[in-house]
Amino acid sequence: MTSDTHLHINNVSKRFDTVDALRDIDLKIERGSFVCLLGPSGCGKTTLLRIIAGFEAASKGSLILDGNDISNQPPHKRGFGMVFQSLALFPHMSVARNIGYGLKLRGIKGAAQRDRVEELLEVIQLPHIADRPVSALSGGQRQRVAIARALAIQPPLFLLDEPLSALDAQLRDNMQIELRQLQQKFGVTTVLVTHDQHEAMMLADELVVLKDGAIRQSAPPTQIYNDPADSFVADFLGAANLIDVGAIKGGAVDLFGTPVQSATPHQDGDNILAAVRAEHVGLTPVLSNGKTCVGEISFMRDLGAATEFVVAIQGKDLRVRRSSAEAQGLDIGSKVALTFDPAQVSLFKAV
Amino acid sequence: MRVDLLPTEGGGSYRFVILLLATCGILISSLPVIVVTIMSFSAADNTGFPPEALSLLWYSEVIALFTSEDANSAQSVVGSTVTSLLVAVIVMAISTGVCIPLAYVLARGDRRIRGGMELLFTLPLVFPLVILGIAFLLVAESLRLELGIWRIVIPHVALVLPFVLRNCLSAMSGISIELEEAAVSLGASPLRAIWDVVIPLMKAGILAGLIFALIISFNEFTITFFMYTVDVSTLPIWMYSRTASSLDPSTLALSVFIIVADVVLIVLVDKLIAGRASLF
Repeated sequence: MTSDTHLHINNVSKRFDTVDALRDIDLKIERGSFVCLLGPSGCGKTTLLRIIAGFEAASKGSLILDGNDISNQPPHKRGFGMVFQSLALFPHMSVARNIGYGLKLRGIKGAAQRDRVEELLEVIQLPHIADRPVSALSGGQRQRVAIARALAIQPPLFLLDEPLSALDAQLRDNMQIELRQLQQKFGVTTVLVTHDQHEAMMLADELVVLKDGAIRQSAPPTQIYNDPADSFVADFLGAANLIDVGAIKGGAVDLFGTPVQSATPHQDGDNILAAVRAEHVGLTPVLSNGKTCVGEISFMRDLGAATEFVVAIQGKDLRVRRSSAEAQGLDIGSKVALTFDPAQVSLFKAV
Repeated sequence: MRVDLLPTEGGGSYRFVILLLATCGILISSLPVIVVTIMSFSAADNTGFPPEALSLLWYSEVIALFTSEDANSAQSVVGSTVTSLLVAVIVMAISTGVCIPLAYVLARGDRRIRGGMELLFTLPLVFPLVILGIAFLLVAESLRLELGIWRIVIPHVALVLPFVLRNCLSAMSGISIELEEAAVSLGASPLRAIWDVVIPLMKAGILAGLIFALIISFNEFTITFFMYTVDVSTLPIWMYSRTASSLDPSTLALSVFIIVADVVLIVLVDKLIAGRASLF
């Protein structure tokens, strides 16, 4: 596949007074792709989205859209559809007028506007609500109307700022699927900001993990999940055990008795953190305390299909997740041996 | 079963106290209106209360005042009424014209500046009105200009601004900046976004401010008393001149007309602030 860059965020930095909100963000967004900016609050993800939308100016760097520098273009000339965290539906307008507002500004009036609005209401599966005031809509309906309003203007870029955070868990799940389907249907290049790693994993073609205003890793979600770039990414993407395994010797460390070879070069003597996901730790019951990799179950809970354990081993607590079948016969206080597949352990230099 | 908020035990003494307070409050605020209304129906030309006989004599007198030009008085009641209305309309236009952009800038700007500006605009309210009247008179005289109606309009604007500004500000505070940004992201210029989104949402606050401006300006006496001239005078001044030496019951009948108009307007303000009415 040839690379087709739609938007190039070219070394963008942003300073607020004395705080660096963004530092040298360089990102190429493929045409038609769904990019998620993921990070904890205060990582600069919303600032980056607002710079793309034009509501903030970058202190340094530029935005290149289809080869044209749009850094100095005001937001209303960019024509990027945006869905806000508060949704920002116009409360004094009906659903149809909300969706039609962008069309009206483009001189699409009368029957042409009405047809386009109806078409969009059809797409968001709410064909009969055109004349309702937005205050009469449910949370999910508002969500869909906000998305339809932004897509009505056929934007080159579709921007979403934590649009699903106000919905309850089940509705959010459904909306994620719908949002992804809509995005694919319209084929619009999309940037979504979220702090929810599940949402990001579910939606993104390309996941950009931000922390303290800098990109920690930018890759497809499965790659980030399986091969996190550093201990922060491993931790933030959920349920990884971070274990201080001490100094590296001969390019390998000892993880509770399992030698793990480092994939990336580390200097001998570097202090190493090993990251391993809860579901990648093997668990076998043992009777004696003979081996070094034996721990004791200090907590367990049944999650239905899986059971989660906390195993105390050499003064550390490890999370382990196994299928519930494997949990048979195990209880709090049971002695278990932990096994690791070195291929599923990531090593990072401790900082 | 619904539980009453106030305890009913203890012989209903709480209820009694509350009823008493409410009655006192209503009496104090409405007694003058009641007295004036009753007296305006008096048949006698003295001002004894209660009137011995009732008639519509003074109402026909008021209508006669408005329909027949009185050559004797320097400033006729018609002239004063027209001036009053003209002043009120100009004051409404100027105060909203100033306050809508000002409220927008203050609401979107620095919080500290907002506090300072609100205080500044509230100054005419805490200043003794008589002194304010003298101050405006001094300024007007030292200008040595033929100010015409503006000698009354300008002090009225100063008095009315805090009310209008406050209404506009509270209307602004409910309008999230994301709404404007949403309009801008859809292609509206920043000014267009204000026109299409902010102004319609401020509508109730603006109208409430307008009605406040109208009532305050139309009823203003103290400052106007210093500022009026033979050519430019308002209805409250005319009424005062009719009652200063001896009370003329026709002014009472006239007040009833004004009270009715004011009540209608106040009910309107109430509805607007509650957000139920929509006039446009």
